Amino acid sequence: MEEKLTKIKESLIKELDGVNKEADLLNIKSMYVGKKSEIQEILASLKDMSVDDKRKYGSLINNTKKELEELINNKLEELENKVDISFDDTLNYDVNVGSLHPVTIVAKEVTDILKRMGFTVVSGPEMESEYYNFEALNIPKDHPARDMQDTYYLDNGMLLRTQTSDNQIHAMENYGAPLRICAPGRTFRNEDLDANHENTFFQIEGMVIDKGVSIENLMYVMQSVLSEVFKSDIKVRLRPGFFPFTEPSYEMDISCVICGGKGCPTCKNAGWIELIGCGMVHPNVLRAGGIDPDVYTGFAFGIGLTRLAMMKYKINDIRYLNSGDIRYLKQFNI
Amino acid sequence: MLISCNKLKSYIKDNGDIDWLNIWNTFTIRTAEVESVKEVGNTFDNVVVAEILECEEHPDSDHMHVLKVDCGEKEPIQVVCGAPNVRVGLKTAYVKVGGHIDGMEIKARPLRGILSNGMCCSGRELAISDNHDGIMELPEDFINGKDIKEYLPIDDIIVEIDNKSLTNRPDLWGHYGIAREICAITKHELLPLELEEIENNKKDLDIVIKNNDLCYRYTGLKIENILNNKTPLDMQIFLYYVGMRSISLIVDLTNYLMLELGQPMHAFDARVVKNIEVGLANEGDTYTTLDGVERKLSNDILMIKNGDKYFGIAGVMGGMDSEILPDTTGVFLESATFNAGVIRRGAVKLGLRTEASSRYEKSLDPNMTDIAIKRLVYLLRKENPNIEIVSNMTDVYPKKLEEEEIVLDKETLKIYMGIDMPDNDVKEILELLGFKVEVLDKEYKVIVPTYRCTKDIKIKQDLIEEIARIYGLEKFSPKPLKLDLISVEHENIFNQEYDVKKILANKFDMHEVHSYMWYDTALLKELGLDKDNVKLLGKDVNNILRDDMSLSLMNIVRENFKNYNSFEIFEIGTIIFNNENKRVLSIILAGEDKELEALYNRAKMVVKYVFKVYKNKDIAFKDNINEKKYYDSNLGKLIYVDDKKVGELNVLNKRLASKIAKKKMIVTLDIDFDLFVELNKEEIISQEVSKYPTVSLDYTIKIDKKKYQDLEDMLKDFRSNLIKSYELVGVFKDKYTIRYVLGSNNKTLEQKDIQTFKDRFMSYIKDNGLMIEE
Repeated sequence: MEEKLTKIKESLIKELDGVNKEADLLNIKSMYVGKKSEIQEILASLKDMSVDDKRKYGSLINNTKKELEELINNKLEELENKVDISFDDTLNYDVNVGSLHPVTIVAKEVTDILKRMGFTVVSGPEMESEYYNFEALNIPKDHPARDMQDTYYLDNGMLLRTQTSDNQIHAMENYGAPLRICAPGRTFRNEDLDANHENTFFQIEGMVIDKGVSIENLMYVMQSVLSEVFKSDIKVRLRPGFFPFTEPSYEMDISCVICGGKGCPTCKNAGWIELIGCGMVHPNVLRAGGIDPDVYTGFAFGIGLTRLAMMKYKINDIRYLNSGDIRYLKQFNI
Repeated sequence: MLISCNKLKSYIKDNGDIDWLNIWNTFTIRTAEVESVKEVGNTFDNVVVAEILECEEHPDSDHMHVLKVDCGEKEPIQVVCGAPNVRVGLKTAYVKVGGHIDGMEIKARPLRGILSNGMCCSGRELAISDNHDGIMELPEDFINGKDIKEYLPIDDIIVEIDNKSLTNRPDLWGHYGIAREICAITKHELLPLELEEIENNKKDLDIVIKNNDLCYRYTGLKIENILNNKTPLDMQIFLYYVGMRSISLIVDLTNYLMLELGQPMHAFDARVVKNIEVGLANEGDTYTTLDGVERKLSNDILMIKNGDKYFGIAGVMGGMDSEILPDTTGVFLESATFNAGVIRRGAVKLGLRTEASSRYEKSLDPNMTDIAIKRLVYLLRKENPNIEIVSNMTDVYPKKLEEEEIVLDKETLKIYMGIDMPDNDVKEILELLGFKVEVLDKEYKVIVPTYRCTKDIKIKQDLIEEIARIYGLEKFSPKPLKLDLISVEHENIFNQEYDVKKILANKFDMHEVHSYMWYDTALLKELGLDKDNVKLLGKDVNNILRDDMSLSLMNIVRENFKNYNSFEIFEIGTIIFNNENKRVLSIILAGEDKELEALYNRAKMVVKYVFKVYKNKDIAFKDNINEKKYYDSNLGKLIYVDDKKVGELNVLNKRLASKIAKKKMIVTLDIDFDLFVELNKEEIISQEVSKYPTVSLDYTIKIDKKKYQDLEDMLKDFRSNLIKSYELVGVFKDKYTIRYVLGSNNKTLEQKDIQTFKDRFMSYIKDNGLMIEE
């Protein structure tokens, strides 16, 4: 008897193994545990057995039937859970991802860093007056910076701004002191195009005005920006510079990322890249903004955003940036 | 500018402790950017003085000679030489066998069959001059066999300083000024220059300055009896190393003074000078400069005149007729100071920037002119002991530039530096730079030397810069800002631009491009378009500023069609419209012409999405009678928000599109981003969701010859309190399916409510003349 029951069980297990349709399973179910199934017959024959046999086999037969039912139900559940695969589940399509311009990405990054230090982001006009681009910034009529070779003058008496520093004056006029602003934007210089020179490029201007602002504060802000953008200790060099709108003026160079400081066309073999012009705001500029230089001091800086993007992404030819070539730009799929 | 360290050493007392190779890193962070540091003279060795004892013609050559030279060894040595200036008694430079030139070893080898032991060299072969006319001619007092480096300053370090970083430092345009900086940086003593004092006991020269505001000082001196016009070798080497050609003693000395002091000088042949007048040119005159080029003059160019004739362009270049000739023995020396602006503008106008003009345009110190003359005479007399000074040193100096006093209060210094500087340090730094300092209780009284006060030292902040840089910028410790936490106004333009760009890139998979502010005029021409807007001055092409952002992106569209059949790009930038700056978001959807409908509808969807997400506003499209002929006249739409025009949707005219790329269509969106930024986000006021179920009803309406817009206007006018919403859910030919969602906030709708709606709606549509099915 035990042998017989084991056989039935084994036979069921074998049959279930090949089943993957619900209908087949139902057939098996009626075959093994239905009214006309073998186990049912055995169960029915129980009543003709001796008392000893009844005691001996009764629970065994019943347990076996339960086991059979359980096996079938488990299989049923398994089939109900399973999706019928009628497609190639190994297909692998590419995703289309849009892109942001590398300068946009870097501008966002820098403004975010500055915002965490309490700067607000402002913006100014690209077509600008001589007053905001030069005069108010302590660049007198005779200054070489005003030359035609560097500046795009327009036939309506205006010009295309040569730097984002016009924002200094707009911000002082609009908000007064104390002040903490930054202003990313497009700037223009009348230059011939090559791998390192563009006539249209981006800067971000920054300005802080308050009582007691020092050169040390300026250095802190500059270093914070650079170490966050490059996420590592990048080699930085601060040296005296000259800008009419700051005094003292400084230039901050970073070790060329393209060649690692060994010298390459991008850094003109110097190993260093001029990235930031900065300094303490010239008293004449504060006055032009309606702020008393005997009460307030401040610093200002201009970071070459285009150059920064080139360093960050190791872009060795500036002409890619205004090319609009999707093949190149699509890499910046942030 | 090239700087010779040998020359610097001659001005600095006890400079043995200065590391001349590495000082330049410090110089860069103290003073000005150094571009390169190069050791020179180290490319050869074993070059000694040798005297030619015998000179025979080479039997097998028409130009070579066989020489016997005394190079300090017991026996004369045989050398074959092809130079034309070989002669018995000449002392020259000779490389021994085993010595090197330009890194190459010199061996004993036969030349046309005759053994040459070593080689006699020209200046160019030794890389100490560009002279290759013959072998070097050394002075007679050089001792045979001695290394020529013992006599001549050949081993040197040549430093290139970035000119741009010297823009504001007129005092650094000569070696002496650089030496002064090195002294300040390394705390050494600067030696005075040796000068010849000139006695003024003769007649004045006739010098007149017409424009005192353009010529600040003109100093002249006449010298005769200059018989030796040979530049000493050490000066030749120096000039060569710093990039100047040696010409003749007189010319070389004027250049030398410019390189030493930064004072440009000019020497005229004394035979032609009658009287000197400095004044402006006449408009339209021409004048031929020393380089043989005829130049057109204008009345803002300053000239030197002689006997009523032009004699030179002041501060820029002399003329042909006053050139120093081989037989010149008398010179008229000019040492003058001109206004920086007039020289710069003149040089730019003439397209002639010279070593002199680039120095004058930095604002030179007028107090240098007489020193330069005294120095030149001193150096000239070393080579010509018998020169005669035949005039007074005539000095026309209408308004003497005096030293200036600046008061620097210690409080301001402390604010800027962030630290207390000891009085002694401040005093020492400024004095090393040539300032005079009086230390008072609360301030410093500082006298600025005139070589610093023509331009760059005007206010106390300028002095702070001097103190800070010589003290050492690397010694500052960066400190965070300590400012009050105040709420400040926040312009939100940058953020809004970024947010919109991000969604266009990340949701709609578009690519951001950057372009130019001006039209590609070649493309405009090709498209047959005439644009009139603000123009760039002085440019003939690409000179019209854009007033239509999308149109200005068409060259980028064209380039991308070379690689893609369809693509979507965008830019937020500035256009100039009605003479004003205007920010515009331009989105361009470009693709196959058969995709036009899809591109067009996607464009609508994108702009709708942007306004919905960022402004919670619905937009409306209105027909546009397009004045811009390059856009399709029927498909143009104006985009409205709250009855305000915020942008345009256009399709580039089919004919023009095909010129950009064949069988392509280009859909453009231009959104006024100034208005977009100003637009307030529609506030969200929450509405309860009904507890009761809703019912959806789909109606298919045959549109006939009307457009969706007509249907939508119709639907807008149909009112019922049961309507929760309705939308277009399908289009099949001219049959549009509209789905209404009905419901009530108070109850579950009953069949009769729904039936009433159905009947009313169906008859409303039919009354409007359209066929409808449920």
